[in-house]
Amino acid sequence: MNDLSAILEIILLLGIPFVPIAVGVLLRRKFVPAAAGGEPLTTGQKLGRLAGNILLWGGIAGILFMIVVVLNFKGVI
Amino acid sequence: MKPQRVIPAVLLLALAGSYAFASEGVPWGHKDHLTQFKYLAESEIYTQDTWAELLPDLQDKELREAVEPAQQRLEAVQAYYEAAMAEWDSAQLRDYAARTTEEDLKTVRLWLGNAKAAAFANKLALVRAKLEKASEEGLTDAEAAALAPHLTDEAIAGLRSMKYAAAQQAQVSGSFKKHEVPKEVANAAIKNVSGALSGNVSANIAKVFDGNTATGDAGAVRLGEKYALPKGTVRGAVAGVSAQLGKQVSNSAASALGANQPRATVATTVKSAPPAALAGANPPQAKSSAWTSDAYGFTVTANGRTQTYRDQAQAEAAIRALPDGSVSKIVLYGHGSPGMQTVGPATYDSDSTAELLRGKMARGGVIQFSGCNTASIGGSTLNPAVGLSMITRRLLYFSLPYFQDRADGVPAAQAKEQWDKGWNADLARDTSRGVKGAVVCGYRTFGLVPGRLPGLTRLMGNQEATTPGYVAGKIACYQDGREVAAP
Repeated sequence: MNDLSAILEIILLLGIPFVPIAVGVLLRRKFVPAAAGGEPLTTGQKLGRLAGNILLWGGIAGILFMIVVVLNFKGVI
Repeated sequence: MKPQRVIPAVLLLALAGSYAFASEGVPWGHKDHLTQFKYLAESEIYTQDTWAELLPDLQDKELREAVEPAQQRLEAVQAYYEAAMAEWDSAQLRDYAARTTEEDLKTVRLWLGNAKAAAFANKLALVRAKLEKASEEGLTDAEAAALAPHLTDEAIAGLRSMKYAAAQQAQVSGSFKKHEVPKEVANAAIKNVSGALSGNVSANIAKVFDGNTATGDAGAVRLGEKYALPKGTVRGAVAGVSAQLGKQVSNSAASALGANQPRATVATTVKSAPPAALAGANPPQAKSSAWTSDAYGFTVTANGRTQTYRDQAQAEAAIRALPDGSVSKIVLYGHGSPGMQTVGPATYDSDSTAELLRGKMARGGVIQFSGCNTASIGGSTLNPAVGLSMITRRLLYFSLPYFQDRADGVPAAQAKEQWDKGWNADLARDTSRGVKGAVVCGYRTFGLVPGRLPGLTRLMGNQEATTPGYVAGKIACYQDGREVAAP
């Protein structure tokens, strides 16, 4: 039981940085910029896309941060 | 460009621009921070070139941190200079003449300027020249007058009697010059009275001349050898033949040579010891050409002086040699993990750190563990970087070792119990319980030091730095086991 809970915890912990990435991708897909001649995005849609961008790049930065931290742990940096 | 991309781009540019304008660097030696720059220069922490390479934020931080030690150092040098320019007595005369080095003059020049350094150098040169001349040729009245601003009357009188005293000493020790009485004649003259002399008199005068404690016993007299009589007998004879001469010799030699004072007294009255040089405490850092960092070290601030060490034994010996209650700050820089900190090959936990520093810390003195995860993770946070650090800490210090233990056959319950306790250990808090009164700080997160980044460390030339500079991390401080604000 301990092993199973530990495995689940690892999956959860490793998955956390991917959550904002996934949400960011979804938001970006939902609020696609209008094609040429199409209707421009409303303010709300623009904010939604901005939030998507922040979550996507923030998530990527978070994963890079964790890689840096692991390298620090390994004594590389 | 579409409007929604223009806005963030403009914001980003504005942010970068404002940062650049807000953080203008401070030129090396700027008059507003002259004292700090003197301190940094003397301690060889930076040169003009390495200073120019620092980011403005780091420059500000270094200048702020240097304010207090620089002021203390300035006061110490001023006190030294004032004592050095006062009138010296005989003991101080000998001490300054013998012990003052070019480094001391350089220190005065750096902190107090060329004029004061020149005045000190001139005084020293004059006194040394007259000291040498006094023992060989004696001093004229004009020379004695020239020394009046620098020496006490007693010291000048001592110098003036040095020639006579030296001649007496040479005569007694048998080193005759061509115009002096040959020792055979002296021996013949005094031989008849030597037996009647008191041992105490001869011992005392012998001590005055050269520190020899011979009692004056004749012992076995072996005629025909170079020295017809043993030295002790000769000394005793001289003292006995002329008590007045003996007294005069004693007084003159004593005042000139300082031999009339017990050694301990001399040691406590001499004030020439300059403030210990900072430069020697910070040996030039070895310039590595590696692309990755090997930075670690001890930084100890005590009595207003900051010293850095790479070597564990050297650092610990220096700390143990410090007086109790004298350490105002110590930084242990290296790699950390929950409950532990390394400084190069040395490893410290709360017990060993407390053992090393117990009693040495000033009240409110700071022990800084500059290593990752040297405090517990603390409470919940909205800062995503801190959250990611917590996650990583749990993965690296619980999950990973747990499964390693399981692979090694350790029962699950035992492994879980062990690593559940260990992953969130708080080195700073535990140490603060062992070093009462001190403020002990550590990092709740991984501490990222930009200067350690591979490549960048080579560019900055700080592969073997002993202090971390800027650390990106969440700090926590404790005093007697209770969390306090970071000093």
